[in-house]
Amino acid sequence: MIRLALPKGRNLETALAAFRAAGIPLDGAGANDRSLLRRLPEEGIEILSLKDWDLPLYVGHGIADCGIVGSDVLEEVDGDLLVPVRLLAGRSRMSLIGRDPVLPAPGTQVRLATKYPNTARRLVAERPWGAEILKLSGSIELAPVLRLAELALDIVQTGRTLAENHLVEIETVAEVAPCLVVNRASYQRHRALLNDWIGRLEAAEVVS
Amino acid sequence: MRVSAALPTGVAALLFESARRRRDAEERLVARLREADYSEVILPILDYLEPYESLLTPASRGELYRFVDRDGDLLALRADFTPMLARVLAPRLASLPLPLRLFYRGDVIRYQEERAGRAREFYQLGAELLGVPGERAEREVLCLFLELATAVGSGSLQVVLGFAGALDGLLLAADVAEPALLAAAVARRERSEVRRACPTLLGVVENGVPDRPEDLGPEAAGRLRGLLALRDELAAAFPQALLTIDLAEFARNSLDPRLLSAGVSEGERPYYDGVVFHAYAGPAALPVGGGGRYDRLFRALGAEVPAVGFSLSLERLLETAAGGVEEMRT
Repeated sequence: MIRLALPKGRNLETALAAFRAAGIPLDGAGANDRSLLRRLPEEGIEILSLKDWDLPLYVGHGIADCGIVGSDVLEEVDGDLLVPVRLLAGRSRMSLIGRDPVLPAPGTQVRLATKYPNTARRLVAERPWGAEILKLSGSIELAPVLRLAELALDIVQTGRTLAENHLVEIETVAEVAPCLVVNRASYQRHRALLNDWIGRLEAAEVVS
Repeated sequence: MRVSAALPTGVAALLFESARRRRDAEERLVARLREADYSEVILPILDYLEPYESLLTPASRGELYRFVDRDGDLLALRADFTPMLARVLAPRLASLPLPLRLFYRGDVIRYQEERAGRAREFYQLGAELLGVPGERAEREVLCLFLELATAVGSGSLQVVLGFAGALDGLLLAADVAEPALLAAAVARRERSEVRRACPTLLGVVENGVPDRPEDLGPEAAGRLRGLLALRDELAAAFPQALLTIDLAEFARNSLDPRLLSAGVSEGERPYYDGVVFHAYAGPAALPVGGGGRYDRLFRALGAEVPAVGFSLSLERLLETAAGGVEEMRT
């Protein structure tokens, strides 16, 4: 039995579609399913439903053998997980956002609002300007709109929210993709099955 | 006045039954080490930072608790027994009878980001064999490690074996600007990155070993064959343990100076330069210990001696025996 952790948020449907395309049906693990742990005995799979931010911890501790989680979360929590493939669908970008289309001038100090303080700290360390990092838990775009911060570091998918709030995407910092993550020890134990899954995901051209 | 029972992040007090269980396990393992003719060394919890400066990587430096003593000396709390033992023994080695069979037990203190389940104080028990050359030492140390790790804990032990420098030839031949990034991609098994840079490494990423051992180059291929034979021998002697060879796990344990200067070895224990292994135990596969050959650590300290050793985390082993995570998984 292998235990797969699926995210509750925007990556759930993307993950299910990718597995379906690869011929690994995870029926019953849909968005309307409220059970936290579901067994698919015929497939030899147990599905664990987790929030994005908790998922790397569960996989890192071996409670789940593998899972699907966004690279934005993965980079932020800094776990020692294997990342064999990234899904092609559900991609977005992490960008610096502000009211004006320019980055701060060298030597200036600004405030930067984000859900990703560790990623932001690493980013700012390489810039000629400085920033006080404000960690928020949601509606990051509001911070520059209401002048809580000059900049925001957040996920941009279509850019519509930004346009509606008169904000601009100043710089794309990274591409964000839902990733298949695997616990190191689980990879040794379930290597044949995981390689089979990865091979089928690759053959279905739903991952890179 | 009411006093809070709260302790700093990452440390724990063991009371009553949990203390007794750990001491019992420790005594059993110590008795076995003494039987195998290993002598105990007791090392200090504090040391000067200076002897370790040249041995540190960004990762191992980041986990050190450092501070200035009242005398103005820069000190560090013990974060790893092996370099401390090496630096204490290296200047005395010429006058000591070899081989030396030593064991230690005690706490190591490592700074770790605050996250659930990440301790900062670990109780370790380990052994080091100095002065026995070649595979004989590796076999003895691995046997002892397997014996101790299976004596405590749930019995379901997974050991992953490799050797330092195994992938150096392939990493150097790959068409990449930064071999450190490729080594990290191999260690994380990122397929697209590896496929683009070096298709031969893809077999290592998928199966732990290349499709054809000779792809590693003649020397590394010979070492791989030797390790496969040793693995088979150990697997027969310890049927309760699952032993696998996985060179991708140790992609960053490099030996080539060009790769070292490119920052390939950035891990916490970069000193292994021969056989290297780590182990997971229990159904949740908690990391419970590891070890390897570390001749170059002594060389860096001015002494030439073959050295192989391991350490075990007693708390983790006992956690697997207690069935906490196990119960959840069955």
